[in-house]
This record gives sequence, C-alpha cells and structure tokens, in this order.
Amino acid sequence: MIVAAALCPSPPLLATELTGRADILPDLRTACTAAIAHLLAATPDVIAVVGAAQETATWNPDDRLDLSGYAPLLSSAPPRAPYPPAPAPTTAAFPRSPVPAPADIEGLQAMPPRAAAAPTASAVPHRPATRPRGKPGLPLALGIGALLLDEASYTGPRILQAVDESASSADCLRLGRDLAAAAPRIALLAVGDGSARRGPAAPGYLDERAIPFDDAVQQAVRDGDMAALAGIDPDLARDLMATGRAAWQVLAGAFAGASPPTEITYAADPFGVAYLVATLT
Amino acid sequence: MGDVEPRPLRLGKKQFPPEQRLVMAIVNRTPDSFYRPGDTGATGAALDRVHAAVAEGADILDVGGIPAKPGPEVTVAEEIRRVVPFVAAVRAAYPDLVISVDTWRQEPARAVCEAGADLLNDTWSGWDPLLANVAAEFDAGLVCSHVGTLTPRTRPFRPYFTDVMADVADRVLGLAERALKAGVDPARIVIDPAHDFGKNTWHSLELTRRLGARIFRAHDVKATRQALDMVAAIRGDLPPARAVRGLA
Repeated sequence: MIVAAALCPSPPLLATELTGRADILPDLRTACTAAIAHLLAATPDVIAVVGAAQETATWNPDDRLDLSGYAPLLSSAPPRAPYPPAPAPTTAAFPRSPVPAPADIEGLQAMPPRAAAAPTASAVPHRPATRPRGKPGLPLALGIGALLLDEASYTGPRILQAVDESASSADCLRLGRDLAAAAPRIALLAVGDGSARRGPAAPGYLDERAIPFDDAVQQAVRDGDMAALAGIDPDLARDLMATGRAAWQVLAGAFAGASPPTEITYAADPFGVAYLVATLT
Repeated sequence: MGDVEPRPLRLGKKQFPPEQRLVMAIVNRTPDSFYRPGDTGATGAALDRVHAAVAEGADILDVGGIPAKPGPEVTVAEEIRRVVPFVAAVRAAYPDLVISVDTWRQEPARAVCEAGADLLNDTWSGWDPLLANVAAEFDAGLVCSHVGTLTPRTRPFRPYFTDVMADVADRVLGLAERALKAGVDPARIVIDPAHDFGKNTWHSLELTRRLGARIFRAHDVKATRQALDMVAAIRGDLPPARAVRGLA
C-alpha cells in the first residue's frame, strides 16, 4: 500500500551539474528536497518513481539521467570519429581569443558529473529495460526523480517506472493500482510538469487553456481529489505540453479511491512551465 | 571525409577569399522582432539603418520579415509586403551590396530574388525543400542551418542531443547535399550551426568550441547570427536565469 507520496516537476535545471554555481530556483529545490524527506520519513520498503516516457517500462534501479545530452562538456564518451573536437577555435568566426570552456564562465560553472549521472527527454530514443546496470539513459522524468533520491542520499530499494506518455487514463490507473501492491509499504514519487504553454515567453508559447488546466490540477491535488486527477483529459494535456498527466494518473490509481491529506509546497511557472510540488499521505 | 580545399565564397556579384571574415548587418522589417523590436519596422528607419550599416562596413545586409519567436501568423502576402519593396529599394540604392533575406518559404524567396536578393537565409533548416530550387534558379546563395526538431516559429522545450555536433553536422551537410542536387552553386552555400537556435547555451558553447572541426571547413561558416545569449555567456554577463531557459 501507499504510505506516502509526492509530486515533483522535471525540469533539467534541477540538476545542479547543469546550473553550477548559479542558484537557480532555490525555493523549488528546497521544496523538492522536503518532498523527498516526506517520503523517507514514512520509512517505506521501496520508493517507486513514476514518470512519463515513450513507452511503459520498468527501468533498472541503478540507471540515471544522461546529463551530457543537455551539457556536452559533461560527456565522458569520445566524440564521433569524423568530427574530432577542435582544440581551440581558430576559424574566422572567433579569431581573437580562445573561447573558454563553459566551466570557465563566471556564474555558470558546470561541475563534473556525479559518479552515477542521471534521465532524458522523450525525444531521445528509448532504451529497453534490459540494458546494462547503472548506465545513463533514463527518460527525463525518471532521471530527475532518481537524482532527487540520490541527493537525499537514499540508497534503499527503488522502482523506476516509466509510463507511456500517451497511455489512456484507465491504463495509468491500473498501473498505479499494481504499483501500490508491489510492497507492503511503498512510497510513490510522481514526476512531471504542468503546461509549458502558459504565456508568450513559455516554451510552447501561450495557450489560453493552460492556466485553467493547471489551476484544476492544483485544486485536485489540494483537495486530495484523486478522481479529478483521474479525469484529466490526456489529449488536452498533450496539447498543453503538460508532461505530468500520465504520472499523476498513476498516482491517482495508486490511491485507489482514497482521499489523502495533501500539502502543496510549491506552485509557480518561473519559465512559463507549471511546476508543482506537493506531498500526500 | 577528406580535407576540402578552401574555396572562395560567392555572394551576388562579389567573391570573398577563403577564411575572410564577413560582417552581416541585420535589418528586421518586423514590428516585434526578438532583437531590438520595432526599431526598423518603418521603411524610412529601415533604410537609415541600411545606410548606417553600409557606412560601418557591413559586407552583407540581412533582411527579415518575420520574427523567429512564436506569435501571430504572418502570411506569405504580408511577408512579401514587408520585405520585397524594401529589398528593391536597397538594391536600387546599392547595386553591389550583398543582400540576404531571412525566410523559410519559397514564395517570398522567389519574390525577393526577383527583387535582387543574393542569399536566402533559411533559418528554419530546410522546412520548405523548394527553397533550394529557388536559390538554384536565381543563382542565389543558400544558408543551410540546424534547428534540431523545431518547426518554424516554435521554441525548443528542453533540447537534448546525444551528440550535438554530430546532429548539426548531419543536418547541415544533408541540406548542403540537397542544395547541390537542386543545382545551387557550391561556392554559394553557407553553413549555419545556428547557435542558440533549438539549443541551450551549453550546446551553443560546445558548437563554438568545435567550430574548427573539418566539417565546418568544407563550407563557409556563418556563426553567431542568433547567438546573443551565447556571446553574453562568453562575456560573462548572461544572467543565469536566462542561461538556463533551455533547461526549464
């Protein structure tokens, strides 16, 4: 059964390797940290991370997000053979001084990758769950979830459950019920975002339906109204670039009709994407 | 891929030796461009900007009629209205100036070539495959650019590349190949990695670090046209909150 649950968003910027010394959205990071602490406080047998991906699959618990897809300097792999890196830019475009590596830039210093780096966007080809242990390549939402658990120094059992981003609501609810039965004491972390179309500067520009959509999600979470989460229209969510829909509906299924007490600890759209952090018990 | 003998770049009536740096001045005929919005939407102000750019030594004048950012639709007819008479006016004033037009649609492309444009700046990476045919028909130049998976006038959402350099190389060389097959003069093909376009700041910095790779020596490279954020990052004055937009 579910002993605790939390919602967190999945922007890559939650990975400090990608933002370095700049203190980006400290309130969001604090809220996410507290949400994971909420899960750990319930002393679960296992923590299940749920996030949307290209297909429903269980990933290896040791897999992580490949941050080098967002910041190439974090890559440990050699570049593809025909395109060796230029040691210094010597073309006519930048003749006067060497271009600094990103790590040299004040305020934007990247850090070395952590030992087990972490997820990827849905545009990235899916890798099957049979891949070798501990490799990068997780879908973005799962990877951010794994990263948050790592940052909390959680080393206990984890389930990394991808859910097809276009899965029907019924399939999401069923997956949630199955997950809830996976252990006597299971904590669930649902990772995903609200609409990315909340204004002219948003990644997906403005869609007038975005703010009412996110308001409804927020209200459902605030009320512990799992039926309302279960009722989110998948097509509308897709139109609004709301990546969290499927994971939220898995969460709704896991609570199986219960109406858990909830607390929303962060709800904002600093970059035009709705981020929601909440805890449920 | 073997080394390619550097060759001159031909644009309009001019020929530039290999490795020569060229300066492209931009005049946007848009009321809401991302860069200096509205400065040059009026014809008089736009022509004044052209005179100033020429006096300051610009080698190429780039004219755009549609902002890159999302917004209200600009029809083909409206784009032509904004750009074509202006190109004709510039051509009349400067018979030898290299005129580039930032467009992704074949109809405006044809119209500006008829009005005297020398280079089609296809910022949206071959969205309209017939743009290359227009360039070939008028013996105009063509910019082959990379924007990832974007469609015109959309923004990237968390852009991710397994290997950004390989992605750029595959795309721009594929477009160059297509242009050659369409009959575009190889001396008039320009490669644009398109910094900050469908990429985050880290991706743009990586491309800059590797601009010396052989791939970019096979054709003339057009760099930094859109790279305002990246240049600011190199200078150290890009606000962190802006630097991470591609990661939001």
